Amino acid sequence: MNLPEDFVFTQGNLQDYVDCPRRFELKYLRRQRWPASEVDDMEAFERHLEQGALFHRLVQQSLLGLPPETLRPRIEDDEVARWYDAWLANGLADVPSQRWPELTLTAPLGKWLLLAKMDLVAIAPDGRALLLDWKTGRHMPRAVRQAQRLQTRVYRNVLAQAGARLNGGEAIDPERIEMRYWYAQHEGEVLRFPYDEEKYRADDRFLRGLAREIDRCEDFPLTDDERRCRFCVYRSLCGRGEKPGPLAEWEGDEDMALPTDALDIDELDEIAF
Amino acid sequence: MYLLVKQQRVARDNLDSKVFLEGLAGTGKTTAGIERVKHLLHAGVPPSRILVLVPQRATGLPWQEALRRSRAPGSAEVRVTTLGSLARELLELFWPLIAADTGCAQPLAPPRFPGLELSQFLMRRFVGDEIERRDYFRGVTISRNRLYTQIVDNLNKSALVGFPPEEIGTRLKAAWRGSSEQAFIYDDAQACASLFRAACLSHNLIDFSLLIDILRKQLWPLENARGYLTRRYRHVLVDNLEEDTPTLHDLLRDWLPLCDSALLIYDSEAGLRRFLGADPAQARSLQALCDLSVTLDRRRAMSEDVAALHHALAQTLGREAGPAPKRGVGRAALRWPARARWHPQMIDWTVGHVATLVHEEKVAAKEIVVVAPFMPDALRFALQARLDEHGVPHRSHRPSRALRDEPEVRALLTFARLAQHAPGLAPDRFDVAGALTTAIEAMDPIRARLLADALYRDGGLLPFENIRDARLQGRITFQLGERYDRLHSWLAQVPAELPLDLFFSSFFGEVMSQPGFGLHRRESAGATVANLVDSARAFRRLLTELDPAAPVAADYLRMVEEGVLANQYLRDWELDRSEGVLLAPAHTFLMSNRPVDYQFWLNVGSSGWGRRVYQPLTHPWVLSRHWDAGRKWLDADEEEAGAESLANVALGLLRRCRVRVYLGISEYGERGMEERGPLLLALHNMQRFLVPEDDDV
Ligand code: SF4
Repeated sequence: MNLPEDFVFTQGNLQDYVDCPRRFELKYLRRQRWPASEVDDMEAFERHLEQGALFHRLVQQSLLGLPPETLRPRIEDDEVARWYDAWLANGLADVPSQRWPELTLTAPLGKWLLLAKMDLVAIAPDGRALLLDWKTGRHMPRAVRQAQRLQTRVYRNVLAQAGARLNGGEAIDPERIEMRYWYAQHEGEVLRFPYDEEKYRADDRFLRGLAREIDRCEDFPLTDDERRCRFCVYRSLCGRGEKPGPLAEWEGDEDMALPTDALDIDELDEIAF
Repeated sequence: MYLLVKQQRVARDNLDSKVFLEGLAGTGKTTAGIERVKHLLHAGVPPSRILVLVPQRATGLPWQEALRRSRAPGSAEVRVTTLGSLARELLELFWPLIAADTGCAQPLAPPRFPGLELSQFLMRRFVGDEIERRDYFRGVTISRNRLYTQIVDNLNKSALVGFPPEEIGTRLKAAWRGSSEQAFIYDDAQACASLFRAACLSHNLIDFSLLIDILRKQLWPLENARGYLTRRYRHVLVDNLEEDTPTLHDLLRDWLPLCDSALLIYDSEAGLRRFLGADPAQARSLQALCDLSVTLDRRRAMSEDVAALHHALAQTLGREAGPAPKRGVGRAALRWPARARWHPQMIDWTVGHVATLVHEEKVAAKEIVVVAPFMPDALRFALQARLDEHGVPHRSHRPSRALRDEPEVRALLTFARLAQHAPGLAPDRFDVAGALTTAIEAMDPIRARLLADALYRDGGLLPFENIRDARLQGRITFQLGERYDRLHSWLAQVPAELPLDLFFSSFFGEVMSQPGFGLHRRESAGATVANLVDSARAFRRLLTELDPAAPVAADYLRMVEEGVLANQYLRDWELDRSEGVLLAPAHTFLMSNRPVDYQFWLNVGSSGWGRRVYQPLTHPWVLSRHWDAGRKWLDADEEEAGAESLANVALGLLRRCRVRVYLGISEYGERGMEERGPLLLALHNMQRFLVPEDDDV
């Protein structure tokens, strides 16, 4: 059995396992840091991730009630300013007014937990539940592909299981859940993924099976799809090439690649007096 | 989980009350707190409404682990965090509303958070030259980094305690009654603090002290920001309240009346972080705002014997000892060494006993801790080497070397110098040979030296074909020559303007970790280089914003050389969850709040037990809220502070020990000086309080 009792599944680590079991093992079980580059143009990549983080903060500030007149003049980056304008124009179109920005929910998954960190959940008075995710990547994937992404399957499933507290104590009927991706680089075009009982059951079976499989997996094989290795930091560790792939072909998920500033504010003890 | 009746009053009952929970370490306070969270969740409280506040991240780990393991609905969603993290979140979200009032010179631009490593660099940049020019701190014999740290510390105290930063020098001088030189030093400390603060404000740099200052003055008074916390978190739990600062206590004074429930956990005899601004007396004053007080007094961690030992030591140190335990033999919980004259003998004795416990008595290594008042690198290294010889797994509160001294980091820094082709940056031949040894698999130092002698010219490397001498080629071998050429041609093609952190990642990924090179499949090296990349990236991001024309790479390399950067690991040590024997300063172990079965106390004769660290620029007592203006710090105060600190540490250690303490004593300390510090004297004096044991050791 591979997984510690307190392991927490997320869409990110499950997607990693589906993409490449070895990556899952290296990243989450062995916590292997391997500082190679993901893409050829890391400066542009880093800039893009920063833009994404900035945009997400602007949306969160807006949802907390900070007015556009205060926020808009401070945006120095023209591209982010365009995204923000697009979001103001249609980001909240027909989004119910009872809203929970930056919401984290968990649900049991076998012996473990499944955690989803959602950009926004909104519930209408009639019980309709909308789950929103803001995307700032260049690529707008085909709907069929996005439907298969673990994010789409995990988020809706977790909301169906753990959303009761947003809905006056009543579990949210899968039939009333919709997940919506909003694409900043495409003037706010959206992809919508309604949910239903059948999909919920299928996802449930699939996710449980996946968790069991990961726990029992004996050798965490390298992916057969070597194109993935071009954008994976473990390339040299796995003997899968030298050079990273071109940024223009990167189709990863910026949510999974957001920079995490090592915050050492809590580590004052580490000062050598 | 089995809970004592008093724990149940906290964990299961009174879920809608504000409870002040008090007790010594090891009496089950945190356990009761964790159980309370689970009961709140079972009672239907949404996890997003619950907040657990801890003084530092390490104190939060037991909470996070227990909550992740719990089956209570949503328990993993409960936020466990520190005041610093909350403050940063508020600042980032509400900056547009408060920026103009903070004094920052660019209110329309975003704030920047330098973090600890870069604060040192900023000190160097903003204050370093001024110290030289004005000959500040004459006569003070501590390293420049420690000077900077104490200037930062003074600013932190002013923010956390809540007095203006301009008063640092006046307060320190008012309590001083010795030579006038020291008064000048306090003036210098004030001048540097003011200079640093002014520079931070002019560049929107929010160091920890400014963050807390802004929290107090702008964020908390702003309804939006305060409400963001108080409306969101209706159930607040605070662990180790006594180790937190007056700023948190002030916030709680406003916040508690608005909460639906609260639990304040107070360790009655702690105050270990006083030197970081902790204020136990302020913390206790919050008891008055609670509906109910509960005291836990049944010791759950200590065995009967350790409890008897604790009782005897408490009596010796003049602390409230309570009734003597009925059973338990204090001597049985203590091992004195056979007479050890020299320090290395003490280390041998310690390691021998640790090995016996692990190998013969089958004690789990994680149930053993080796502590000393300070754990300098030399001591840690000696212990690690001896434990390795005995095959005992171990872990440390920090890695055994500074980041910049790791061979892979040294190699990368050398190659970066080569790639820069900048005047004054060319590495010396010896470093080039060392870097080649590390970078190329199977390259021994002799061949590397031959390569460097033959091919390192005018600050750059030449291709292997430039060696014309067939014998020399043969000695180096063509296989190594081919690897050298791959490395050389990569370096020859890399653009000099590539940022240093990206240079490190690319060179690591495309060369050094590839088959045939020195870091191939070296997993620990990967983690080390990742720390270097983090450090260089943070530096680049900050410096390019401060000064877009600055030669970032060259400046970084210089700062590393001066010991300002790449001195510490930024991330990994706390991730070290391995199961080995822990080697740590006593204070670090105490703050992790995890009892163990066996403790080894080293350097028991050292005066470091119960003595303040030498801090010529600052003073934790004088800069606290309790120091009366104008009162002088006297020898009696120093003595009292030392006695308090000794009692806190020694008794705190015993309260986190289940079975036995081993005392590591040598007549002569690490520096060969005779040692008879206060802990040793106390332990000798304690003998009279210990009941004789039949089978004495
Ligand atoms: S390099 Fe390829 S095989 Fe290795 S972890 Fe990454 S994706 Fe998997």
